[in-house]
Amino acid sequence: MKISPRAASWLQVAPMATVFVTMVLVPLCIIFAVSFLDYDFARVFPEIYLASWSDALGSRLTLDLYLTVGRFLIITWVITAFVGFWLAYFLVFHVRSSAIRLTLLAAAAIPFWTPGPIRMVSWVPLLGREGLVNKALMSLGVIDTPLTWLLYSDFAVVLAYINLLTLAMLGPITHSMAKIPRSLIQAAQDQGASEWQIIREIIVPLAKPGIAIGTIFIVTAVLGDFFIVKIMSGGQTNTPANAIATELAAFQYPPAAAKSVMLLVIVVALVALLLRFVDIRKELRD
Amino acid sequence: MAHQANQRPLSFYLLSSLMAALLVFLYAPMVCVYILSFQGPDGGMSFPMVGWSTHWFEVLFRGTGGQGMGDVPGSFRRSMRLAAFVSVLSMVIAVSAGMAYRRSFPGANFVFYSAITSMVLPGIFVGFGIALTFNLLGWQINWFSSGIGAQLTWSLPFGLLIMFIVLGRFNPAYEEAATDLGANASQRFRMVILPIILPGVIGIFVSSITSSYEESARTQLNVGLGNTMPMEVTGLLTGSSTPVLFAIGTMTTLVMFVFILGAVALMGSMARRRAARPDS
Amino acid sequence: MQLKKRDAPEMTPEIPSDEPRLRQVTKGHRFDVELVALTKAYNAKTLAVDAISLRIPRASYCCLLGPSGCGKTTTLRMLAGHETVTDGAIRIHDEEITHRAPIDRGTSMMFQDYALFPHLTALENVAFSLKVRQVPRKEREAQAREYLELVQMDHLANRLPNQLSGGQQQRVALARSLITRPKVLLLDEPLSALDPFLRTRMRAELKRIQKELGITFVHVTHSQEEALALSDVMVVMNDAKIMQAAPAREIFETPANAFVARFIGGHNVIGRDGKTISVRADRCRIGTGPGLNSIAGEVTMVEYHGPFVQVSVCGEGNTDLTAMMSDAAYFEESPRIGSKVALSWEPAVEHVLGPEAVAFLAK
Repeated sequence: MKISPRAASWLQVAPMATVFVTMVLVPLCIIFAVSFLDYDFARVFPEIYLASWSDALGSRLTLDLYLTVGRFLIITWVITAFVGFWLAYFLVFHVRSSAIRLTLLAAAAIPFWTPGPIRMVSWVPLLGREGLVNKALMSLGVIDTPLTWLLYSDFAVVLAYINLLTLAMLGPITHSMAKIPRSLIQAAQDQGASEWQIIREIIVPLAKPGIAIGTIFIVTAVLGDFFIVKIMSGGQTNTPANAIATELAAFQYPPAAAKSVMLLVIVVALVALLLRFVDIRKELRD
Repeated sequence: MAHQANQRPLSFYLLSSLMAALLVFLYAPMVCVYILSFQGPDGGMSFPMVGWSTHWFEVLFRGTGGQGMGDVPGSFRRSMRLAAFVSVLSMVIAVSAGMAYRRSFPGANFVFYSAITSMVLPGIFVGFGIALTFNLLGWQINWFSSGIGAQLTWSLPFGLLIMFIVLGRFNPAYEEAATDLGANASQRFRMVILPIILPGVIGIFVSSITSSYEESARTQLNVGLGNTMPMEVTGLLTGSSTPVLFAIGTMTTLVMFVFILGAVALMGSMARRRAARPDS
Repeated sequence: MQLKKRDAPEMTPEIPSDEPRLRQVTKGHRFDVELVALTKAYNAKTLAVDAISLRIPRASYCCLLGPSGCGKTTTLRMLAGHETVTDGAIRIHDEEITHRAPIDRGTSMMFQDYALFPHLTALENVAFSLKVRQVPRKEREAQAREYLELVQMDHLANRLPNQLSGGQQQRVALARSLITRPKVLLLDEPLSALDPFLRTRMRAELKRIQKELGITFVHVTHSQEEALALSDVMVVMNDAKIMQAAPAREIFETPANAFVARFIGGHNVIGRDGKTISVRADRCRIGTGPGLNSIAGEVTMVEYHGPFVQVSVCGEGNTDLTAMMSDAAYFEESPRIGSKVALSWEPAVEHVLGPEAVAFLAK
């Protein structure tokens, strides 16, 4: 049997397309549809009911949720981008042996082999009331009573995000920087550029795709997270994803659906914006 | 100003310190977990250590954690079963799709952007959507249908991206040469393409196992009866506050460690065999 | 059945013992390769190859020469069946093969970067085409060894490609192509990855093997020197068209038009009495004499090449001219840069260029 190349491609891609259509795109449409339906404590009725949307769009609470997560996102992004950029620069341009570079990257990845929930508990012995940080500060005489904002606070949430996501920034930026030919740097040095000028004029522009990809990781992780914020804030802080999780637990599907669609639109818009800075397929190919 | 070629600039020392700080920041909590998992029977979830023991590991394995101690071995088995199916399926589906992308075909962008969408959508959204779809269609959610499906939405995009990397570096002349030498499509795949891209294929397998094992946002609403490992541990966080949590942490890390080192060793030995075969 | 014959080397007729063992016996046909108005269009506007026709006689070494983007590689890939043919026909040994699969055409291609399978040894690479036809291991290894001997690589049979140098890889690639017993071997810039010293050695080797096997080689190159050294038939291409196809000497002595004259090098293209002529640079000298044609100009560069000296002159109307003088002749005159001189030649060495030249100069 002879089939055309086009048909062959379709056959080969069909299983993947099936998964995405049935498990992502159809559910997406269904969520959208359900957000317009009426409901009570146990069921969804097939009747149009727009309150889910007017609540989601109109309430002060929604705005607060997005302000909270926006603040988390900005602080996390600034810190991870700063640390990620400089460490990528360090790994690519300062570390001379590629073995050491790989070892350092692998070393940074190993802590992530411990499952997420355990990583959250791991902050207790460090940041808790009885934790090592408080003990150290008290024995140094910096404070008299234990700091309570170290754990179960917004500080703890951001700390956990940074802990989790610095690597997601470091990896792509390192990848982008590693592709910069050394001859460019040497040429710039020959032209008399200082290290700082080289970074600003050559490395930053060429590392942009990596920064964009890292940012996509951060945006999707922070906006989609409901678990870390719940555990690390001790249930005190809410974000949009968190609110959806709460409503899902209470079987309030239509309002959860409306909020989900809103969140989805925001995430997709941000990612689409970021994709203007990077052609992922080209980035992966060379 | 004397400038020695080998003298490191100040920035090197500043950035070295930043690197060290990051590693401390990443490792400190983990090291606490590993140490505290050997806490004495009377110790708590913080320092100091009240003696050293393997008490909490015994509690874990015997399932004698008392109240709040769920079915850890059971959930581990369920997670492993799910991970096994998801990783094999991801590998097959992603390799097949990757092969399709060596040519341009109508719909290529649609599938690619579906994958990107699937990757960037909040997990809770995808999980909710699948559960809702099954619910409305009157289908029973189950680990082997909605469970595997939900996890595939997370592992497949990464699989596809890995295939792009792998095939992007695959010289198309290899396949043309094989065609020239009379190989048919299946021979080209078996004898030329697959052996060359094998490290990448193993990479998809490893990334799928780890992502399946770690995933909970998409999985939790779709897995049906019985918790998976991350769900179980999350439950324990609220139910239990003993070092048994740390024992779980140490054990699971160990499992991952062995698994990933095994995979890396396998890929390494393949690369070595390719690099250094003895002369005749 | 065409495929059968080619795919079963054991069925080829016995080879007389005084002939090299791997020599291929061919039946009576006129041309090894024939291109008939061969065309490749990527879209309505861009023609990569524009209706070219060419006949390559039996057992020739044919070089396709031209600047990058001239269509020479596309032509080669169409011959190989790796590129579909938009229009026209390809015949090999008088048989139409335009739309056949690569394996059924009687061609074999040696790729620019060799495309040796990185996971297979030299021997396994060479034996690959036999393996896909399920030839038993012993037999295919014996045959593969024979071909590795032909390219003098049998001592490194068990090395992997990345343990071989560029030149060694190329020999293995050559053996791998030849084991399919092609009627025509296609070589895509085979020497471009080698250092200059190795390039000259491999060049001689390719020619030796071509003569030994008695098949046609079609060799794509952008090096004039390589084409002149190797070709029985030399094909100069530009802008998707064939500018001239002829034996190397004929092309050098009587270039068809200004493009060929310039591209092949060593010629001065001069407009004279409404005609465009070419004069070989090595037939020009500085200074005038009785009965010589000449052109006045200013010396812009002098390059010493050992046996000869190259003097560049900017002539009337800003034309770049060159004289290749023997070192003895040069040092007699020793024109300096900037000095006003006359570049002269015997009228008998003038060669009138074809009409393409007018179009070329007008551009």
